[in-house]
Amino acid sequence: MRKVNVLLLILTSTLLLCACSVRSDASELYKQETPLKVEINMPESIDADREITVQAILTQEGKKLERANFVHFEFWKKDGSVRYPMKEAQEVGEGVYQIAVNFKSEGLYYLEVHAGNNRSLINPRQQFIVGDLSEIELDALKQGTKKDEGMHNHHH
Amino acid sequence: MKKEMKNVSSVQGSIKPGNNSAYKTIWRWHFYAGIIFAPILVLLAVTGSIYLFKAEIEEFMYKDYYEVVPQAVKVSVSEQLEEVKKLHPDALITKYRPGENEERSSEVTLIENYEILTIFLDPYTGESMGELNSDDRVMDKIEEIHGELMAGTLGDRIVELAACWAIVLIVTGVYLWLPRKKKGFSGILFPRLTKGRTILRRDLHVVPAFWVAGGLLFLVLTGLPWSGFWGTNFQTLITNSGEGYPPSIWVGDSPNSTVQTKDIAEVPWAAENLDVPLSDIQGLVPLSLDKVVGIAEQEGIYPGYTVYIPQEKVGVYTLSVFPPKAQDEATMHIDQYTGAVLADYRYDNYGIIGKVVAWGITLHKGTQFGLPNQLLSLIICLSVIFVAISGIYLWWKRKPQKGMGAPVAPALFKKKPFLFLIIGLGILFPLVGLSILLVWLMDWVIIQRIPALKKWLNA
Repeated sequence: MRKVNVLLLILTSTLLLCACSVRSDASELYKQETPLKVEINMPESIDADREITVQAILTQEGKKLERANFVHFEFWKKDGSVRYPMKEAQEVGEGVYQIAVNFKSEGLYYLEVHAGNNRSLINPRQQFIVGDLSEIELDALKQGTKKDEGMHNHHH
Repeated sequence: MKKEMKNVSSVQGSIKPGNNSAYKTIWRWHFYAGIIFAPILVLLAVTGSIYLFKAEIEEFMYKDYYEVVPQAVKVSVSEQLEEVKKLHPDALITKYRPGENEERSSEVTLIENYEILTIFLDPYTGESMGELNSDDRVMDKIEEIHGELMAGTLGDRIVELAACWAIVLIVTGVYLWLPRKKKGFSGILFPRLTKGRTILRRDLHVVPAFWVAGGLLFLVLTGLPWSGFWGTNFQTLITNSGEGYPPSIWVGDSPNSTVQTKDIAEVPWAAENLDVPLSDIQGLVPLSLDKVVGIAEQEGIYPGYTVYIPQEKVGVYTLSVFPPKAQDEATMHIDQYTGAVLADYRYDNYGIIGKVVAWGITLHKGTQFGLPNQLLSLIICLSVIFVAISGIYLWWKRKPQKGMGAPVAPALFKKKPFLFLIIGLGILFPLVGLSILLVWLMDWVIIQRIPALKKWLNA
């Protein structure tokens, strides 16, 4: 009968070992970072030559971030024809940092937010459209089409 | 040594009911484990000996892919990627590795038609220097044999089983080696060369085996943590305890991007639908690889790191480096969209067991202390080969004409200390436990019921 006991012992120990997986909160047992998180707010559609407000809402360690070390906004047009110098955003409280901006010409634009606080640096880049896209810009997007379609096929 | 000789004669002649049945039992186990696993251990030692010199061998083999002439200005990473995309428009780019010094090319790894290719680029001209298919890399093959006998998961388990049984061989072997009569060190610490062939054969197995036992045990114990079954479970246990590797280095998931999926720009062409509303392409776009490399340099990641490119919307860029010395290791996760460092695990952030395992791995690979480390490991490997072969030779010479020549099997369960040892090893190494179970079942169901087989195996 002892044979059976040994058998059971080995089986259960095997099962025990198989059953364990990494705890979802295991990272809390090791060094943790306090990354800045960001949400960028801008109007759904933007017309040329009209002032709009662009906001970045910053959080860190689950709290709205007040008095960040720095928050700068930088805009440029994809074709390189327009570039706005980097500008400090204005803090309005509740973690919201904003800037007023007026785009003179239509097209595909980028905004890069440069923010830093307490050793965490971020520079998210937002793609957006002012007015309508030109033929060239649409073509550029379609150019990406072929290339990335191929990549997509091999995804599986 | 009389006892030893008596046992030999008992195998060769008629079987006498020995009073030292524990010795016989252990000998029997050592005997069968040796015959079954010696070939695999030799294979591991041979491939291991070669793999110790991986860096040197590859440096020589791929010289034309590795070496570049330093110039004043480097081409940006994006431009290097453009070159690769031009050469392989349909490929999926998975990794980028900047050279670890000024004279080293950068590498882009991609998947194309189910094959993994590495493109070597001159970072000063941005031009391709050539490409290597992973299937053509000799050292990868060696590694594959060493780790899984080129047989996937099954092979991995067999290697692990052989490694675990090597521990059984060491433990039983040391028991058999233990000097029973105190009469100097000959035949124990050094071989007796002038006492005839039978004794020399025995000493040429036993004496070197004793000397290499510690080294082999070290290689087995440092190799096990990266094995598929025992290793994964072990890594999980220590990671969960807070004293192992932080999650995502060996086991566990990487963090996800911190941005909300709704804020991410749609890529209309990925949906194979050009009529996706243009407003959906408004949103966050992924960080360029140039910036990721910039962050790596700012954060002081040890040169020679690899950037793993995220393949999913919520994925992260992962920087990872396992250099020769354990202290230089690093794994860093960077948010794909914001560039925030989400996790930064250096050697100093490992738990105490994680640090020990990390050292074990670099010592096992022979990189921690460079050449002396490689040579010491090579000596261990060569000794293991010698001991395995001399053991088999010893058996072959002693073996009777008929039968395996194993010592007779006494009822195992009457030997409590041995039983506990086996149970202990079986729990610590479940694969050993399972295989012992299998042997028992086979013995019980088949061998004991077929007289010829029973006689042959001396069961």
